[in-house]
Amino acid sequence: MSSASTPPFTAALSAFASWLGKTPLYDAVAGVTWVVPTVQTLHILAIAVVFASAALIDLRILGLVDASKPIEALLTRFLRPVGAAVAILAVTGLLLIASEPSRAIFRVVFWVKLALVLAVSLATWWLGFAARRRGLAATEGGVATLDLKIIAALSLITWLAIIVAGRWIGYAVAWDGAPQ
Amino acid sequence: MTIQATLSWLEATPLSLAIAESAWLFPTLEAIHVIGLTLVVGLIAVVDLRLLGVASLTWRAGDLNRTILPLTWSAFGLAALSGGLMFTGKPSSYLANPFFVGKLALLALAGLNMTLFHHFLSPRVEAVDGAVASSAVKTSAAASLVLWISIVALGRWIGFTI
Repeated sequence: MSSASTPPFTAALSAFASWLGKTPLYDAVAGVTWVVPTVQTLHILAIAVVFASAALIDLRILGLVDASKPIEALLTRFLRPVGAAVAILAVTGLLLIASEPSRAIFRVVFWVKLALVLAVSLATWWLGFAARRRGLAATEGGVATLDLKIIAALSLITWLAIIVAGRWIGYAVAWDGAPQ
Repeated sequence: MTIQATLSWLEATPLSLAIAESAWLFPTLEAIHVIGLTLVVGLIAVVDLRLLGVASLTWRAGDLNRTILPLTWSAFGLAALSGGLMFTGKPSSYLANPFFVGKLALLALAGLNMTLFHHFLSPRVEAVDGAVASSAVKTSAAASLVLWISIVALGRWIGFTI
């Protein structure tokens, strides 16, 4: 449904969706019934890795779990799994988009989710950077300074919002002018 | 009361009707369920990987367990409560779904594995701080990982077959 009134962003996405629908990738993921639930399972397992790792880092910075270990120890242990799992989330997410090209990308909540993922990725990177670079200045006696605590709290809330937004993609309706 | 009568009674309750008919209640429960279950699985995996000697080796297994266990139980409570409410919306359909029944069976096995671990293996883990865990401990940890990954997969399959 491309009329003269279609906004450029919707038109570009429509072109992308119809191109994606003709690729072998689409046939691979949409043609077999067990592929989508399997990819979704991998997506959820990767969320489990990211969310549990990020929660442990954030809660430690907030002083809510085991303060006997330095913040650096948790960053060393859990920051790398977060990065690896985010990569798995991007790949599985792309496969899920390919299985129904005209669905997720025409929902506002999908773009909100992407923006939140970008924001929390930057925040997590900053937490690791700031805590390591400033060392004891950021973590006096094992207690994080206020700026780290604020970013950690915001990160935790953002992860929750990302999970809720992700679930909402399955229920949200497309915006006006999106392909049917 | 027979099972059938109990299910019919449950399906006629205002709570069940609300969950079955509301446009936003079920997605909200699903979102809470995902938050709870991803924390449960992710946190349990951290402990299992430590027991298997794969990661977190600078932690004592006992210390790691004590840090993570309370958080895991809170998350499990959240997942169980939201899952129970989702079930309440369509109890007969869920009980007739082989993936749901399979998921309950694997949850029971995971619970049994955890109980056996805490009764028989946990004291030995404390005693051998820093050392390589016994093969019994590793078997229990590997079983836990496999069970929880399978539970997630069955849960996702319920969504496609209910």
